Amino acid sequence: MNTPSARCLILACGNTLREDDGIGPFLASWAEEQFANIPGVRILASHQWTPELALEIVAAETVIFIDCAVNAAPGAVSATPVIAAEQMPRLMTHHLDATCLLALAREYYEATPRESVLLSIGAGSIELREGFSDAILAAIPQAQRTLETTVRRLLSKRP
Amino acid sequence: MSQTITIDPVTRLEGHGKITIYLDDQGNVENASFHVTQVRGFEKFSEGRPFYEMPSLMARICGICPVSHLIASAKACEAIMSVRIPHTAAQLRRMLNLAQMVQSHALSFFYLSSPDLLLGLDSDPASRHLFGVAGAKPELARAGVGLRRFGQHIIELLGNKRIHPGWVIPGGVTEPLAEAKRDEILGMIPEAYDNIKIALNWYKQIADSFQPEIEVFANFPSLYMGLINEDESVEFTDGALRLIDARGGIVADGITATQFTEVIGEAVEPYSYTKFAYYKPLGYPEGSYRVGPLARLNIAQSMGTPLADIELKQFKQLALGPVQSSFHYHYARLIDIIHGIEKIEQILTDPLILDTHVRATAGVNRLEGSGQAEAPRGTLHHHYKVDENGLITWANLVIATGQNNTAMNLGVKQAAQHYIKDGKFTEGILNRVEAVVRTFDPCLSCSTHALGQMPLALSLVSSTGELLDQAIR
Repeated sequence: MNTPSARCLILACGNTLREDDGIGPFLASWAEEQFANIPGVRILASHQWTPELALEIVAAETVIFIDCAVNAAPGAVSATPVIAAEQMPRLMTHHLDATCLLALAREYYEATPRESVLLSIGAGSIELREGFSDAILAAIPQAQRTLETTVRRLLSKRP
Repeated sequence: MSQTITIDPVTRLEGHGKITIYLDDQGNVENASFHVTQVRGFEKFSEGRPFYEMPSLMARICGICPVSHLIASAKACEAIMSVRIPHTAAQLRRMLNLAQMVQSHALSFFYLSSPDLLLGLDSDPASRHLFGVAGAKPELARAGVGLRRFGQHIIELLGNKRIHPGWVIPGGVTEPLAEAKRDEILGMIPEAYDNIKIALNWYKQIADSFQPEIEVFANFPSLYMGLINEDESVEFTDGALRLIDARGGIVADGITATQFTEVIGEAVEPYSYTKFAYYKPLGYPEGSYRVGPLARLNIAQSMGTPLADIELKQFKQLALGPVQSSFHYHYARLIDIIHGIEKIEQILTDPLILDTHVRATAGVNRLEGSGQAEAPRGTLHHHYKVDENGLITWANLVIATGQNNTAMNLGVKQAAQHYIKDGKFTEGILNRVEAVVRTFDPCLSCSTHALGQMPLALSLVSSTGELLDQAIR
């Protein structure tokens, strides 16, 4: 498949109609402008991470996954290394998390990125509405800084 | 003492549903129901909105087949506007709809059903998933991922978004096809052919081993309905509807979107939020019919493309008349896919495909309009009424899953009666009951126009109403 290669692939996940769940697409949109002139950065935002994204992952040197976290403190921003899952959940057809996507890339294509990072932002509320909770609004600058730092760090490394 | 089995949630479906199996005093199946347990109400909350917003609003019903809603809705709006869209816009929409069909069928066949088909319906459920498929037959797994991406990427290229593209509007599409995008799609075609051939060759080798399931997976006579062209070839976006009976005789033909409600009615049952469509002259439930890949292929005399026509010929050899077992939806789905790839290639060689005239404009010229298209899982009908300002006063959507609803319920009952004896069942038996529903690839979110949760559930209930067992996933 003619999947474009990327030195840094940003995969954002979330639904902008579910309040803080929309932080992933929001940051992806910000990244589109922020990294528009930086070659090698590819950005994809979707409501769910689905199996075919494994094709994008195997074509990328590094990957940053962006998602909100309902089990983290509201507004908490973290960028942590993420590796492929050893075991897959029983139901894995419509939505996969970052570890499962990496595992799928490994199992299907025998390839995983050199480095993968999960940028996670703790959700304050995921009710059915647009906009963000106060906790997320306050965390956006830090999330943007973390994303920018991570992108530049990943790009600075030689393959 | 009679019992009830509940499968709740039913897994590997689009949406949330459950199955209840009622046992008699001897523990044999007396009845079974497939319940769709979510509700939304898009028809109601679209009231008061300007008609030209409807395609974008209605596409939100579903993340799997939003394109079908976009197209059926835009066509209903164009009936209100009384416009005919430019040739190039019609071709581009046709390509978008086919791309969606390819990606949706790939999801159904490879992601949802291939674990059963490859690993076996009795295999360990802990590994009966995509990972298990990759371990057992990696080239099949990769073919599925490749075909899903093929369809999704075309949608993304045309509509600038993989899900809920806003490119289709009343009157046509918002922008023409760029040459670079055309070339990119053409570049993906050879690999798509390779992938579907892997799947077709493999499926034809294993299909016979499922003969016991073929016999009882919604294997009964029914009516069939689908869109068809004047030359009797299969059609997804335009054409008119044909309804045939269980022997292949034409029951109704040339049904336009405007005539749809004269022919098709909708019944309601207390156990499901999804309606039950039926052919009005025969009444409910006698007039129940099936739609989707199986129906389309039973109705069409040709696919209109060479490779798919070869497959159609083989498909029609499965039975003397219409192919009745819903197990064969799987094969029909693969034939739809190869047809989709061929048709997309044909459309891209249309000398007018890069034409920039892709939109017709008009205001409100009629106060009522209907549109129809084939969604991956069957015929989709949108019907709107507006006031003189173009604000929606009434809307009704007839969804493929509602049109297959009676057949799905009868199919669940048929399989349950065959497999469950003396109140005894195994996980593999319950998986077979679920797999009957999966053959139809129902979209429960679409059928109730509902807020999405994915799982489906199974219950075993006694004749006194006592819940005896439950399989919840």
